Amino acid sequence: MWRVTLRGLVAKKFRLALSSLSIALGVAFMAGTFVLTDTLGGVFDGLFTNTTQGVDAVVRSKLPYEPTGGQVSRDQLRPPVPESLVDVVRDVDGVARAEGSLLGYALVIGSDGEALQGQAPTFGLPWYPRSDTVNRSSEIVKGRAPRAPDEVAFDIRTFEDGGFRVGGPARVSFQTVPPREFRVVGAFLFGGSKDGPVGATLSAFTPATAQEVMNRVGQWDLIEVRAADGVSQTALRDDLRAALRADGLAADFESITGQQLADEQADELKSNLSIFNTFLLVFALVALFVGAFVIYNTFSITVAQRIREIGLLRALGATGRQVNRAVVGESLVVGVLSSVIGIVLGIALVPLLQGLLAGFGIDLPGGPLVIATRTLVVSFLVGTVVTVVSSLAPARRAARVPPITALRDQALDPAANRRRYLWGAALWVVGAVILLAGLFGGASGGDSALLIGGGAFFAFIGVAMLSPLLAGPAARVLTWPARRRGRVTARLASENAERNPRRTASTASALMIGLTLVSMVAVLAASLKGSFTETIRGQSSADFVLSPKGFFPFSPAAAEQIRAELPDATVVEYRIGVIQIGNDTVNVLGASPDFTEITDIGLRPGARRDAFARGGLYVEAPEAGARGLKVGDTVEVRFPDGPGRVTVQGIYAKELPPPFDPPFVLSLADWDRFPTTEDVSVSVLKGPGTTTREARRVVERAAAEVGGIAADDLASFIDRQIAQFDQLLNLVYVLLMLAVVIALVGIVNALALSVYERTREIGLLRAVGMTRRQLRRMVRGEALIVSAFGALLGLVIGVVFGFLIVQSVSSEGIAFALPVVQLVVFVVLAVLAGLVAGIPPARRAGRLDVLQAITSE
Amino acid sequence: MSVPSPSVTTAAARAVDVTKVYGQGDTAVHALAGVSVDFLRGQYAAIMGPSGSGKSTLLHCLAGLDRVSSGQVFLGDDEISAMNEKELTLVRRDKIGFVFQAYNLVPTLTGLENIGLPLALAGRSPDPEWLDRILTTVNLADRVGHRPNELSGGQQQRVAVARALVSRPEVIFADEPTGNLDSRSGAEILGFMRDAVRELGQTIVMVTHDPVAASYADRVVFLADGKIVDELAGPTVDSVMDRMRRLGD
Ligand SMILES: Nc1ncnc2c1ncn2[C@@H]1O[C@H](COP(=O)(O)OP(=O)(O)O)[C@@H](O)[C@H]1O
Ligand SMILES: [Mg+2]
Repeated sequence: MWRVTLRGLVAKKFRLALSSLSIALGVAFMAGTFVLTDTLGGVFDGLFTNTTQGVDAVVRSKLPYEPTGGQVSRDQLRPPVPESLVDVVRDVDGVARAEGSLLGYALVIGSDGEALQGQAPTFGLPWYPRSDTVNRSSEIVKGRAPRAPDEVAFDIRTFEDGGFRVGGPARVSFQTVPPREFRVVGAFLFGGSKDGPVGATLSAFTPATAQEVMNRVGQWDLIEVRAADGVSQTALRDDLRAALRADGLAADFESITGQQLADEQADELKSNLSIFNTFLLVFALVALFVGAFVIYNTFSITVAQRIREIGLLRALGATGRQVNRAVVGESLVVGVLSSVIGIVLGIALVPLLQGLLAGFGIDLPGGPLVIATRTLVVSFLVGTVVTVVSSLAPARRAARVPPITALRDQALDPAANRRRYLWGAALWVVGAVILLAGLFGGASGGDSALLIGGGAFFAFIGVAMLSPLLAGPAARVLTWPARRRGRVTARLASENAERNPRRTASTASALMIGLTLVSMVAVLAASLKGSFTETIRGQSSADFVLSPKGFFPFSPAAAEQIRAELPDATVVEYRIGVIQIGNDTVNVLGASPDFTEITDIGLRPGARRDAFARGGLYVEAPEAGARGLKVGDTVEVRFPDGPGRVTVQGIYAKELPPPFDPPFVLSLADWDRFPTTEDVSVSVLKGPGTTTREARRVVERAAAEVGGIAADDLASFIDRQIAQFDQLLNLVYVLLMLAVVIALVGIVNALALSVYERTREIGLLRAVGMTRRQLRRMVRGEALIVSAFGALLGLVIGVVFGFLIVQSVSSEGIAFALPVVQLVVFVVLAVLAGLVAGIPPARRAGRLDVLQAITSE
Repeated sequence: MSVPSPSVTTAAARAVDVTKVYGQGDTAVHALAGVSVDFLRGQYAAIMGPSGSGKSTLLHCLAGLDRVSSGQVFLGDDEISAMNEKELTLVRRDKIGFVFQAYNLVPTLTGLENIGLPLALAGRSPDPEWLDRILTTVNLADRVGHRPNELSGGQQQRVAVARALVSRPEVIFADEPTGNLDSRSGAEILGFMRDAVRELGQTIVMVTHDPVAASYADRVVFLADGKIVDELAGPTVDSVMDRMRRLGD
């Protein structure tokens, strides 16, 4: 049987190539994603090994509790250590040297006045005299190290990008002190790489200056320790732990080895990386799912085409099992081949993927490609298994071909039977139930995503099984205008689509999946954007809004400056923090006490605004209800620096305007309990005595002087947020394109096979006078029917999915919106793409030799 | 042997010194080796000859389905052998009718739609009176709403004949139209074709190797090894069998 299998394959190279392509693309995406993220992981590992060089152990405060939700990092939550601890550590046995260290906010303003901030953070750090420093991660490559309070050195990339020179001036802005002028004395290489840690901007100051400008007077973030000769990292750590315990400090402080620190830091970055990896893998899986449809379709068609051959084999004594195995064997060959091609393609495409992400503002550091065994094994297995599984149903059908078929001049009955429809309906219902359970069942994030994804998977297959019922009517409706004008080509195209509704439907289903996802995303995006705009407009009366240009919060100095220059304005700062209430770790929004003058949160009567100015909490109504909180209650909480009590000063009824979502607002009067003070946003409401123009000038100047901040009025703030959102959205669309492209490959493939199958009929049509043009038009018409059918089906399902998802989060204040124009554009584009996909098979049909076609067997 | 050559205007189809060579060099097959023949308007002609003698090739060349290697082919006064692909297609659509041995019909169209296909391709609809007459002639009026797979072999061939007639072509070419039929259905088809010539004034050129089929024709042309070797006017089954036997010798 293997010989038959292989011969069958070689005889149909074209089909083989196209159907392989559909799987290979998905596998390539998957392999590319793995290689990309592994490469990044490798870069991070190397990086933190470098940045902790020379550090054998560190002593630091214990993390008060784990942050949640990813909005606040561990380092932002960890309290500083007192400077006096350095002396304690120095006296511990096995310690050769101990130095306080810190990494704080320091934004460098380039020589052209523009802040040097991309998407990477901007840090300041202390610089100890080179000869005896613990941390050996940096070395001066230009000029010298800072020695005086007004001296600064930059990492070499910042030095070059900022257009600085040794001996020249530089301006750096901080959080708690006003921007300051420094003299540039040198440039250094950090972590052995010019890119520094993931592109961060670094400024080095003398240790005392570093403490002063970065809000750490008398404090450090941590203490870096070098071991005495002959003391290992773990021995040192154990000594330090023992000493902390002996001094009664073990409750607040801890010690870990330098290696542990490096691993911890790499892991923190890598956990973000794994989210990113999952994000990309989802698209790869979607692509493979679509590819599976193409494979299924290809095998169904070829089994139908070779029905007589199969019948003959059966008549000659081949068992059904052998026939089954021949088909599955063929798919195995296709699967192995496409997986191998896909893996090679995927590795080759990594730079392209990096370029694509960079194009959407996601700049990733490069490094030598890491091709893990897992990448090869998983990609290979997934590609092969998906292919083989897709061929199982056609193989089963082939095995059931009775020997008599060899003698009958009749195609396998293509009419889908009722059992199939029942199965389809059942799958659809099961999928819908799982999907709805995921949406409304109240499962946690990961579980609900799994339920939604799994539900959609079954629902898709169910729809695909049911869709042959619609294929005929759809073909007739779609061709109705052309048929009415007497176009016989339209009539024929429609009949061809109808004659095998199952094939038409499964070809269309592949496109349907892509269009479903695209239109669902469009609906979600429109709903989010609409609600975002609406709530901001409805709830905020700010004249101006400051927001970070990159991803990182900015210095409160900007708000200070505006307050100073516009005394009659209301200036509200917002911060994000994490506290513990009981055993729950929750995010809180920190807000200036008078924020309700700008932002309407629907404070219930009885709120104590005056008291809130001295500290306390506003709680969202449902949360207050759940916790049984009312105004005046005192809540025991844990702040990053220790236990505390806050009073509930008000209950509010409205959702906070996006992007804020915590159900708690903490007065900034209490913010001294948090280790960092960056603002994530600042709103300004000008006073009556100031003109808008004057206010704008002040706000813009403050933003420019502190740097890295965008200053907008409310309308352009909304535009800016939406533009940022759109960038991500466009990336999603581009990634979904792959699924659409694979579906188009499927259309090319199915039509080419149909043309091949109908050679004789095409010959007849040509013989009785169909011109090449008419023939091509007919085939393109079939492509149009298939693509329009798939696109419209996808549109409907996508809008329904989108609607359901929006309903499931309607309590977040998100309302359903239908982006009609955009959806129409998507469908039109998909149909046009389908038409283009029809061109190669149409040309193939047109090139058929008439005489050969009519005399062909 | 020379074939009488009537005036140009009365010939519906005409081959002049046509050769057709397949392949080249040692493996070249001379399917037609210099054929000159006229088929008159209003005549029912049959082409006979042993298997492989070039009957189908001649028919294909006359019908503009295949290109000649040398020589000329005329349809009425138009030289088909000088036409390009597009012109040939339009000639086939508007001036020629076809009846093949099998696979004559588009399976997705009803009988009636199949009949109207050449006209539909030209963007025209059939003349109702003419259509009526054809349907009556081939005795199909009650079955034409069905698709080919719901029709018997004989009915399918009748639909094919009706289709060939519908555009009132200058010539109908038929390649063994009864080859796949039982003798009764075959006789029916042959009768209809003869009626089409007698009553509707059509011209038919039919390839066959069946003496009974040939006996329906007004004239039989005999082909052997790519050459016209004989012909017979007013053939009967016996006279055709007689000639065939002599050819075989
Ligand atoms: N496409 C072709 N390629 C090569 N040889 C051909 C081709 N078509 C026909 N022939 C050869 O030409 C000769 C005449 O064929 P054909 O006209 O089909 O004969 P008939 O119809 O009389 O049986 C035969 O020898 C046949 O093998
Ligand atoms: Mg023949």
